[in-house]
Amino acid sequence: MKLIADHVTYQYNKGTEQEIYALKDVNFVIRPGEFIGLIGHTGSGKSTLVQHLNGLLMPDAGTIYFDGEDITEKGYDKKKLRSKVGLVFQYPEHQLFEETVFADVCFGPKNMGLSRKEAELKAYEALKKVGVEEIYFDQSPFDLSGGQKRRVAIAGVLAMQPEILVLDEPTAGLDPKGRKELLERIRKLREKDGITVILVSHSMEDVAEYVDRIMVMNEGRLLYDAPTKEVFSHYKELEEIGLMAPQVTYVMRDLEEAGLPVSTEATTLTQARDEILKAFGRKM
Amino acid sequence: MGIIKTSKLIFDYIRRDEEGNVEGITRAVDEVSLDIRQGEFVAILGHNGSGKSTFAKHLNAILYPTEGTVLVDGNDTTDDEKIWEIRQCAGMVFQNPDNQIIGQVVEEDVGFGPENMGVPTKEIWERVEESLKAVGMWSYRKHSPNKLSGGQKQRVSIAGVIAMHPKCIVLDEPTAMLDPIGRKEVIRAVRALNDVEKITVILITHNMEEVVHADRIFVMEKGKVCMSGTPKEIFSQVEALQALRLDVPEVTLLAHELRRGGLDVPRGILTRKELVDALVQLSKGKADVE
Repeated sequence: MKLIADHVTYQYNKGTEQEIYALKDVNFVIRPGEFIGLIGHTGSGKSTLVQHLNGLLMPDAGTIYFDGEDITEKGYDKKKLRSKVGLVFQYPEHQLFEETVFADVCFGPKNMGLSRKEAELKAYEALKKVGVEEIYFDQSPFDLSGGQKRRVAIAGVLAMQPEILVLDEPTAGLDPKGRKELLERIRKLREKDGITVILVSHSMEDVAEYVDRIMVMNEGRLLYDAPTKEVFSHYKELEEIGLMAPQVTYVMRDLEEAGLPVSTEATTLTQARDEILKAFGRKM
Repeated sequence: MGIIKTSKLIFDYIRRDEEGNVEGITRAVDEVSLDIRQGEFVAILGHNGSGKSTFAKHLNAILYPTEGTVLVDGNDTTDDEKIWEIRQCAGMVFQNPDNQIIGQVVEEDVGFGPENMGVPTKEIWERVEESLKAVGMWSYRKHSPNKLSGGQKQRVSIAGVIAMHPKCIVLDEPTAMLDPIGRKEVIRAVRALNDVEKITVILITHNMEEVVHADRIFVMEKGKVCMSGTPKEIFSQVEALQALRLDVPEVTLLAHELRRGGLDVPRGILTRKELVDALVQLSKGKADVE
């Protein structure tokens, strides 16, 4: 199912003196199965954009099409849209509320109108997918560790079987191993279930490692929308808008400047390692 | 004696059921003895739940030891009469800047601490000025904190702490919610406080890049300090850190991978420059042999 943003514009405080554009003429197409990174400094419009994707905010001008239908039209079934485009907010564990882990994850599918049995089945699958073991199902979500809570919260969205999963800074506050585990889970979801993933992140290293395509927001506009390597080749422009390239990209640039025969294209650690080894006539 | 000294510090969380009966005890900090000198830059690493935040909360008497002692500038944190002295000596900055800013205008927010301490008005304004200048936020003094970026807000939080003239500042994951430039700004401000103002810094973080300039690093695991040393000593132990759910800076990991690939790169490389220099040296050596 395609998701298309067509000249989307959104203003905060419209009609007042403090009117500002949060989104200005944003256009893109998201195709099934893509893994997209959405980056931009704080206040660049990422979160506003994300809230348009499932109809939480409606554009002031322009439209959004999901599966060929205009979601801004009167009478469009937003409830259905919200189960198809699953949005995981920052620190989603703050939204856990049920008495047990299992009940919390059942809430979404039940709310969609599924029978109890179906809802439980979906919840079970979703918890398995994020790697929460059965011994935790009957515990209070509040007794879990931070990383586990986060996974339960993500399962709550997955249980609605979205086709597009949007994650806003899913690894914020997790330790390095926890970050990696969570991102690997997300990668698997995409590989096995073909789910489309949009990852909002401040970590350029994570984005470089996991996504295929990057959208860069700046002052409400979509500044770049291109494959990962291409976007990070604009590292100077990225720095001007509060972002940067992954660490290893800078290493490769320094090496090239120092006269070593390396390509500066590498954006991940593995690529950088292989490229440097090659320059020394070795390989792993 | 150091500015902060803990001896055999133990802290137990007591879990209770709904009726208030004790269900069990979790030892969050387990016999931690540290001696931190005035002017040091110390980093504490550890995975989620390793006890580092619980430890930090002892340093300005938010929590009290179950056993052992914590001395801040010679004062025992359990001494009620010294509590304001202790909190003034060891200021604390937390993860979320939005929970720490209360003023409507930046300069008012920074002035709140010293005003609350009873500092005379004229001196409050002097302190506000020097604090905002120290974190590079002086030109924003008339702004509303709501309009600032995350990194700017966090620097205002830090200015608010240093306006109280602490000898020591404890930062608990101050950059976790910030974008790359915001993180850089905050860490640069913290390093300047340490270098120029000689304020003792205790930085807790999950970001390994941020601690490569620390004087000493302590790694916590299950409430204990399990590793300690200079960044070079700590980060040359890549596998040991990974086993503790941690990591090393990206360039350190790249150097480690290159070693595994057969290149003779030194251990414990911490910065981009060190790695590039080492590789340039290697390529020269190789050219000489040929």
